[in-house]
Amino acid sequence: MPIVELQHVRKAYDTKIAVADLSFRIEPGSMFGLLGPNGSGKTSTIRMMIGITVPDSGTVAIFGQPFTRTSLHRVGYLPEERGLYKKMKVMDQLIFLGQLHGLDAATASKRAHIWCEKMEITDAVLKKTEELSKGMQQKIQFIAALLHEPELIIMDEPFSGLDPVNAILLMDTLVDLRNQGRTILFSTHRMDQVEKLCDNICLIHNGHVVLSGAMREIKSRYPANRVAINFEGDASFLNHSSIESAKNYSGRAEIKLRDGADPQALLADAVTRARITRFEVMEPTLEDIFIEKVTAEYGEVNSGSEVDA
Amino acid sequence: MHNILLIAKREYLERIRTKAFIVATILIPTLMAGGIFGTAYIADKSKSNSHIAIVSSMQPLTTDLQNELEHGKDSSMVVDVVPPSPEIRSELDAKIREKSREKGIDGYLWITPATSSDPTARPTFDYTARSSADIVTSTAITDALRLVLLREQLAHSGLQPANIDTLMAPVEVNTVDAGGQRGSSRNSFYVAYVLFLLMYMVVLLYGMNVARSIIEEKNSRIFEVLLSTIRAEDILAGKIIGVGGVGITQVIVWILAAFLITASPLAAHIAGATTMATISATQGIFFIIYFALGYVLYSSVAAALGAMTNSEQELQQLNMFLMMPLFFCLMMLPVITSNPNSPLARLVSLIPFCTPLLMNFRVSLSMPQPWEIALSVLLMIATIYAVLWVASRIYRVGILMYGKKPSLPEILRWLKYS
Repeated sequence: MPIVELQHVRKAYDTKIAVADLSFRIEPGSMFGLLGPNGSGKTSTIRMMIGITVPDSGTVAIFGQPFTRTSLHRVGYLPEERGLYKKMKVMDQLIFLGQLHGLDAATASKRAHIWCEKMEITDAVLKKTEELSKGMQQKIQFIAALLHEPELIIMDEPFSGLDPVNAILLMDTLVDLRNQGRTILFSTHRMDQVEKLCDNICLIHNGHVVLSGAMREIKSRYPANRVAINFEGDASFLNHSSIESAKNYSGRAEIKLRDGADPQALLADAVTRARITRFEVMEPTLEDIFIEKVTAEYGEVNSGSEVDA
Repeated sequence: MHNILLIAKREYLERIRTKAFIVATILIPTLMAGGIFGTAYIADKSKSNSHIAIVSSMQPLTTDLQNELEHGKDSSMVVDVVPPSPEIRSELDAKIREKSREKGIDGYLWITPATSSDPTARPTFDYTARSSADIVTSTAITDALRLVLLREQLAHSGLQPANIDTLMAPVEVNTVDAGGQRGSSRNSFYVAYVLFLLMYMVVLLYGMNVARSIIEEKNSRIFEVLLSTIRAEDILAGKIIGVGGVGITQVIVWILAAFLITASPLAAHIAGATTMATISATQGIFFIIYFALGYVLYSSVAAALGAMTNSEQELQQLNMFLMMPLFFCLMMLPVITSNPNSPLARLVSLIPFCTPLLMNFRVSLSMPQPWEIALSVLLMIATIYAVLWVASRIYRVGILMYGKKPSLPEILRWLKYS
């Protein structure tokens, strides 16, 4: 039974279609990445999953049932735009938010203290929120979403605005939670961040699904046809017949090979012309795949509008 | 219900702990007491205490006048009586110009006896003052003269001094209500007015606070966390109860303070019996009922306004919707004061937005029919329900529409949105 299942969900605001025909399912105990550039419909999708807005058509099911507010007690949510009561003390705030999720004050307080220690913000618990840095506030909100030990954790852009140390702290925490059997969905526009984190992804653009499925399976669909070369000297090997496209960042070339081309031949040619310090054959990154897919789709969209005109 | 109470509790505790609340709660009764005692004190001091001279040889008029000016109701002057003589005028003029207040005088009154033999002919009075702007003294002299002359005329026509005193005693009218209870009409008017102002102030102040607290939540973006757990209606209800609790706490403190101030012997001593306006139990009960209903009604309107706007500035532009009914009530006050049971007074006091102020005002003046009260309460509850329904819809959708101001068609569309 999937924890979350969206079927043909559509949501339009006034003139803009935020989400057009989106379907995906999240299996229990998995880490799911909802990816896409800014304004692609990630937040709109998430808001429909937690009942802040209602889809125009299509269905949202959580825990195997159509959406009801009572299931929200089993969901932890971190909104994209962080919000806390500025004048309230951190601990009071955490207890209040815990109580809203159905905890009693004592349990909420106990868990909040444990979490604050884990997230290294024990010094801040007696301060007012407005006295804290943005990163600290984000950690507090992160804790607030987890106090009631939800089965499903939904986080909208959880790593944005965090320094690398704290981002890793958060990622590790999420991995721990997944290993404990919780289901995690998070959205991000930083595709490089999710490659090592997610089991499954859904990549959306302009409200449409571009790519969806298990991370491993997607990666295996795209052969290792990317080559990175660090070199000194003559760059004329970039005109080699096996290269479909190449970018040269003065001494570092990023190359996409033609289908079926052998990187070995390219290497042989390159060593005769320049001094090679690095030669690596790689799988395309998610970003590469995304750009490839979107460019292809944009072509279709453009030709379509020409027909309309 | 649990969530409503949680929201209400947080709102209440956070607000009560603020410095602004503590200052307002303590400062207002202090100012109130200061105002009451201050006015009483000033009234006491504004009795003319000038030092004047009377140039006259007429008796008993001069002695009576001196008496009236020195020990009269509204004046406590120092009065010298000097017989007229050719050089006295320049002597008094010199005294007027004297800079030191101890040695000089504030003015002198020259009384020239009437020349005609007619017994009703009056003498001429010329008052020379150090400052022609000293109206208090000249008014006191005029009043005293009229009184003294009247007494003299009455005595002249053969009345006994005791009878004259009885004749000239002030008249007091007691209004008696239908139950035979005796009360002072001025008193009940003042009480009604005070209650009216109190309600006006609190509704405006705390209604606006509901709007502000919604805007604050929008700006801090906390509502998204709240909405992911509880319903918009619960947030709204919790806010109204919480902020309302703060308002009611403040009013209770103020009313208690008012009781203490007016009941204190000091107040009675300084201000006399006129300030002893007490609130009867009926007035109190109706005040609480109408206050609660009015508060909920105006708060829901304020909540809708808060949900529609994104900043304090935008709220300012819309808060006329909150003010207009209140101003209308203020305009209707004279209508109700002059005749609390006129058809117009009955009609306006049934308009739900005016009921809390105007019906309550009518209750304190003269009790309306029971059906009127029942109908007004019913109408208010129905309106509250309707406004809350609309407000929670606007709240739910409007709260997610930030960055732009909604147009009227958009708001109407929100209402249809579930």
